[in-house]
Amino acid sequence: MLTLHRPGSGPWHRLPAGRKSVLLMMLVLGLCLLPTSRTSAAITAIVCAACFAVPGVGLRELLRQLCAARWILGVTAAGQLLFLGPEEALANTVRVAATVALCGLLALTTPVSTLLEALERALRPLALLRLDHRRAALVLTVALSTLPVLAGLARQVREAQRARGGGHSLRRFALPFLVLALKHADALGDALAARGVR
Amino acid sequence: MNVLDLAGVGVRLGDAEVLHGATCTLDARTIAVIGDNGSGKSTLARLAGGLVTATEGRIRVLGLDPAREPARLRRRVCVVFSNPDAQIIMPTVAEDVAFSLRSQKLPRAETARRVDAALERFGLAELADRSAHDLSGGQKQLLALCGAFVRRPELVIADEPTAALDARNARRIADHLFAAVDTRLLLVTHDLGLARRCESAVHVAGGTIVDAGAPEEVIAAYEDTLRC
Repeated sequence: MLTLHRPGSGPWHRLPAGRKSVLLMMLVLGLCLLPTSRTSAAITAIVCAACFAVPGVGLRELLRQLCAARWILGVTAAGQLLFLGPEEALANTVRVAATVALCGLLALTTPVSTLLEALERALRPLALLRLDHRRAALVLTVALSTLPVLAGLARQVREAQRARGGGHSLRRFALPFLVLALKHADALGDALAARGVR
Repeated sequence: MNVLDLAGVGVRLGDAEVLHGATCTLDARTIAVIGDNGSGKSTLARLAGGLVTATEGRIRVLGLDPAREPARLRRRVCVVFSNPDAQIIMPTVAEDVAFSLRSQKLPRAETARRVDAALERFGLAELADRSAHDLSGGQKQLLALCGAFVRRPELVIADEPTAALDARNARRIADHLFAAVDTRLLLVTHDLGLARRCESAVHVAGGTIVDAGAPEEVIAAYEDTLRC
């Protein structure tokens, strides 16, 4: 499920959305630029844990984020182990884990509506190119908000397949999922228009 | 001012003619639209909400031409659909309601005040920070109504808003719809009990309006068509 904002009054919650996004982005960039080694992996893990170990968030939340991303981390670790070796696999997997967790930290401590406003401000220069920055920000936000719906549709298709005694088949899953996703996109367009969005 | 003015209105979606020759003038606070599945009821509702465009004829909604004045129509008209899942845009309940006010560009404090008042009115205040996708079907439909009414529209078009709900939730939704005395209602429904609560009714069949008038008469005529 999409990481949801948890109301709170901790330091991350109090930081304005724009500054917080830039700070976390710089942090992720900095951690990714560290050399690929065990020491870097340890530094990354410590920094990431420190970011979560503040009032209003907590290390349990970090574990929840990592648990939600366990398949991505597993595939990353397996691929790296196979092609690069244990030290690189450890460092790169910890990098990916830290990136996922720190992105989650932004979503956890910032309401989507505030993120939308920050995104709109950040995309304002697009207006110079005659692009609608409000619409661009809205598209990104709606895309994020649609993730849980798509997860629900995927579950619905799998359950329908099981109910009819069907096995695991990517082809049989993909087609109805695509149709449902397109129908949802259509309905979402109507819902946006019904709420007064052009 | 009439809620709906139709003169020979037709709608084509691809090769299919889903509405043709629809003509009527409706002016009541609450109007029911009844008819069989596939008769064109939802198309009529979507037409009135400016979500589809008439391919022939003349249409006015609250005196506005949906094709020429879409922005003014969107400010005055809200649409609620039968599937509440498709209407959730933002992740939490309060944010989803606030999203409805985005196009009105209100000051932040005013938005918060109106959202709080709307959540209170629809009994959603305690769920304000909950994930909108994790609500029950009835709560999601209440959220959809809340998102519509927070914009203070003149007309709410509800397309089978109780279709997927149990009796208790269906009654709650209907009570909210009928309680809004300062808002007009165009209600597409299969529930003839709900249609009877309206001041006026329209019967749609075979893609056109076959009857319009007092609910008792329109419903009686519709029920006659149901007898084998």
